[in-house]
Amino acid sequence: MGRKPQKNDSLPGSLDMLILRTLSLRELHGYGIVQYLQQSSDNELLVEEGSLYPALQRLELNGWIEGAWGVTSSNRRARIYKITPAGRKQLAVETRKYARLTLAIARVMGEA
Amino acid sequence: MLRRLQYWLQRRDREQSLREEMELHLAEKAAELQSDGMSPAEATLEARRQFGNVGIKHEEAREIWMTRFLSELVQDIRYGLRTMLANKAFSALAVLSLALGIGANTTIYSLMESVLLRSLPVQEPESLAVLNWHSEPPQTADKQWVHVVHGIQGRFWPGDKGTLMSGIFPYPTLDAMRDPAIFTSLFGYFDGHNRNFGVRGYATSVPSEFVTGEYFHGLGVTPAAGRFITPEDDRPNATPVAVISYATSQNRFGGPANAIGQPVLIDNTPFTVVGVAPPEFFGVEPARTPDLYLPLRTILLLDGPIAAKSFHDENFYWLEMMGRLRPGVTIAQAQAAMGPRFHQWVSTTAKSEGERAKLPQLKLNPGVTGLGGLRRYYAKPLYVLLAMVGLILAIACANIANLLLARAAARRREIAVRLSLGAGRLRVIRQLLTESVLLASLGGILGALFAIWGIQALTVLFGAGEENFTLRAELNWNVLAITAGLSILCGLFFGLAPALQATRAEVLPGLQAARSSGGRHNIQSLLVVAQIAMSFVILVAAGLFVRTLNNLHSVQLGYSRENILLFTLNARQAGHRESELATFYADLNRRFASIPGVNSASLAQSSIVSAGFHGNAVHSAMKIGSTTLADVKSIAAGPNYLATMQIPLLAGRDLAERDHAAAPPVAIITERLARTYFGSENPIGRRIHLPDVKKDLEIVGVSANLRYGGIKTQEGSLVVFVPAAQFTPDRVTYALRTLGDPLRFANTVQEIVRNADSRLPVTNVLTQAAEIDRTISRELTFAKLCTGFALLALLTACVGVYGTMSYTVARQASEIGIRMALGAQRQAVVWMILRRVLILAAVALAISIPTAVAGFRVIRSLLFQTQPGDPATLALAGVVLLMAAALAAYAPARRASRIDPLVALRQD
Repeated sequence: MGRKPQKNDSLPGSLDMLILRTLSLRELHGYGIVQYLQQSSDNELLVEEGSLYPALQRLELNGWIEGAWGVTSSNRRARIYKITPAGRKQLAVETRKYARLTLAIARVMGEA
Repeated sequence: MLRRLQYWLQRRDREQSLREEMELHLAEKAAELQSDGMSPAEATLEARRQFGNVGIKHEEAREIWMTRFLSELVQDIRYGLRTMLANKAFSALAVLSLALGIGANTTIYSLMESVLLRSLPVQEPESLAVLNWHSEPPQTADKQWVHVVHGIQGRFWPGDKGTLMSGIFPYPTLDAMRDPAIFTSLFGYFDGHNRNFGVRGYATSVPSEFVTGEYFHGLGVTPAAGRFITPEDDRPNATPVAVISYATSQNRFGGPANAIGQPVLIDNTPFTVVGVAPPEFFGVEPARTPDLYLPLRTILLLDGPIAAKSFHDENFYWLEMMGRLRPGVTIAQAQAAMGPRFHQWVSTTAKSEGERAKLPQLKLNPGVTGLGGLRRYYAKPLYVLLAMVGLILAIACANIANLLLARAAARRREIAVRLSLGAGRLRVIRQLLTESVLLASLGGILGALFAIWGIQALTVLFGAGEENFTLRAELNWNVLAITAGLSILCGLFFGLAPALQATRAEVLPGLQAARSSGGRHNIQSLLVVAQIAMSFVILVAAGLFVRTLNNLHSVQLGYSRENILLFTLNARQAGHRESELATFYADLNRRFASIPGVNSASLAQSSIVSAGFHGNAVHSAMKIGSTTLADVKSIAAGPNYLATMQIPLLAGRDLAERDHAAAPPVAIITERLARTYFGSENPIGRRIHLPDVKKDLEIVGVSANLRYGGIKTQEGSLVVFVPAAQFTPDRVTYALRTLGDPLRFANTVQEIVRNADSRLPVTNVLTQAAEIDRTISRELTFAKLCTGFALLALLTACVGVYGTMSYTVARQASEIGIRMALGAQRQAVVWMILRRVLILAAVALAISIPTAVAGFRVIRSLLFQTQPGDPATLALAGVVLLMAAALAAYAPARRASRIDPLVALRQD
């Protein structure tokens, strides 16, 4: 109990990046984000669903996403999130970092 | 940060929407699962399972806006208060004792800081150095005074290994010690004692300080108004100027600005006020608070020939000195440079080989806290007090620890329940910690209040004791913070241990067995033993000091203590000439004697208990035949002095009106003096020869022995009484033997003096008893404080005993129930509990008696006619402690004896 969501990820901070990436494509509500992540990763990425909400709060607090009440495709009231310009910059930063990291890991694994 | 605050302000809305979002998520998930073929109930469960712990996720999200911490804190505090209320009596007592402990510590430390540690309110006090010296004892084995110090006005104090220490120098030293490479300035000052201070025809007696021209500049003080004394003011024939204290400027002139340029009369000599010292300035000795600062040379103007004789005398020691070290020069460097310099100078003043053999050696001391007079006198008592209050705080902390331990044990079940319902472990620990900190903080807040009150009380207590002594104690926030921090730390420590243990516990056993655990019980017993041991030490200390005070009070003084009014006049300072001084004083005495209700009136140069501090009456050596009298004190007294003071007359007659200035000189000697120098012969009619003034005193009476100049002095002082009319002192202290309360006559006395001379202030109006108590004010204050602290310690320890025993009884309720069901008598149950306490107390005593006896050796010098290991005091303290402990345990024991076996057995 009391574990932070990041600790559960194989790559620290990657949940934030994934959320930003998802929202950069379209505006979504919380459940929609989970669904998208699972579908687009062919169910390979299993997000601990509960961890999504603290992450959303954190991103919003940092000013990278904005949430507003709206209506989902299934016609239910929900908080719909969209990415902000600052969020796009952050996404770029994280993407670069991620690319470097995966490259580095790939090298290590390749040599092994 | 701002955004966080904004978030926090909107926290209710946010919480609501977050909850809604999560609900939606779960609903959609469930719907999806359902569409995959799950039953609605299964789908909901599965949705929740995949989501994780909704509560924790919710909290995590909230934590991100920082509200979680705050809101939980509020929750915890509320909950903490509620649990404290559930255990009202003990919680209140524990907090109260903690508050008293914190309050006492803060008070004593604040006091100590003001007396011992606070820097002088001057610029860069760190670079000030006080000049002292030490030397071999001046007296040789046959009590001859052989030393370069031929005469002094000021104080000596004992140094290490029987040496003599002092901070006074002859005036010429000042110039000899000037060294611009070491001191940027070097200045001298001299306690001028009280002076007659007349403003517009109205005179008061105020403390004064004579200072050299560099004094204020050297200290780096800025005047509140006008200017300070300069070297030009301290030249021969300079216009007499004065600097007054800020308070005096307000009392006498209505403000600093109004005082500048005002003419004043000091000892009937015209001066001009040129400056006002800043409000926080009190000179260089925290014990003195001069109201007048005068150029050093004006002492020649005020004290005339006597001062003139000693001013430039290189063997007369009187001037205190301080220097400001040049930046970069350390005290050690200054010492190395000035030591030889002083040695060289002082060796030129030696008048004989004997004097040269034990020349004084210079010692530079840091001047940051001013002179050491008050420090030397109060340092030890204050450290003892500090140790006491420290112990009290420890006892109080033990109470808090006890409370928390007991509570943690009682709450194992509650904690187990909370953990099983999904509470985070950290969350539970934090909540327990909040409670302990809450207790400690409450104690801290109350403690601050107690400290403020305590400082006020102490100021009164100390102010009553010492003349011209203003206690400048302020609440020391650092200390308050430290003590409060200490108690919080204690709360954390004793809150954390049980909290960790409680949360580590497996949930199931915790739920099943609510009561158990012997280890914690041992800790509690240990705490009680420690508490009792510590309070015993304090009790014994208090006992010793009270005993000391009693011994001081029961000292046979040899003169009456009750029904005597004392007051002091200094007509010389008010402008009376030497020639008419004696008649003026004698006339006044006759008027005092005729006041209805006054049985007899007399006068002397001072009260007997403070005799010697204002000089001896006879300034000459005294001889009987060819024998020089050694260690003989003299006091000038008026007619009927022995009768007024009720000193028994063993032979001959009392001093009388007929011993006037023109009459043949006479003397009365004490029995001890008579025995020492006349053996069994009758001394009446014999003569004491004064070779220096070429006079013979005829011995006309022999008085009983008395203690001269204090009450700790030798019982039979060798005293010579001489007629005041023949050895006219400048100042006199009248003594009126009255019917009833002496202070009733104070107003009449004031009136008579005002009618005789309005320039003449009446000072030191008090009873003989008060005057005597003033000489033991330190012991008096100390005994009072110690008694207070001992009571506090005892009460605090009793709270501990009470709390622990209450808890024990509650814990053993079922056991006691069984015993009673099996036929145990109520008394037996009471005894069972009491016995436990008494055993603990006995263990504590066994530990603390040797500690006390050994440890109290350091306070031996503070005791009078009693020993650190005084068996009576130890026994009394032990009995008091055992009784108090038994009393504290009695309530829980009684409760135990009323346990209904049926109820108790059903409880589990």
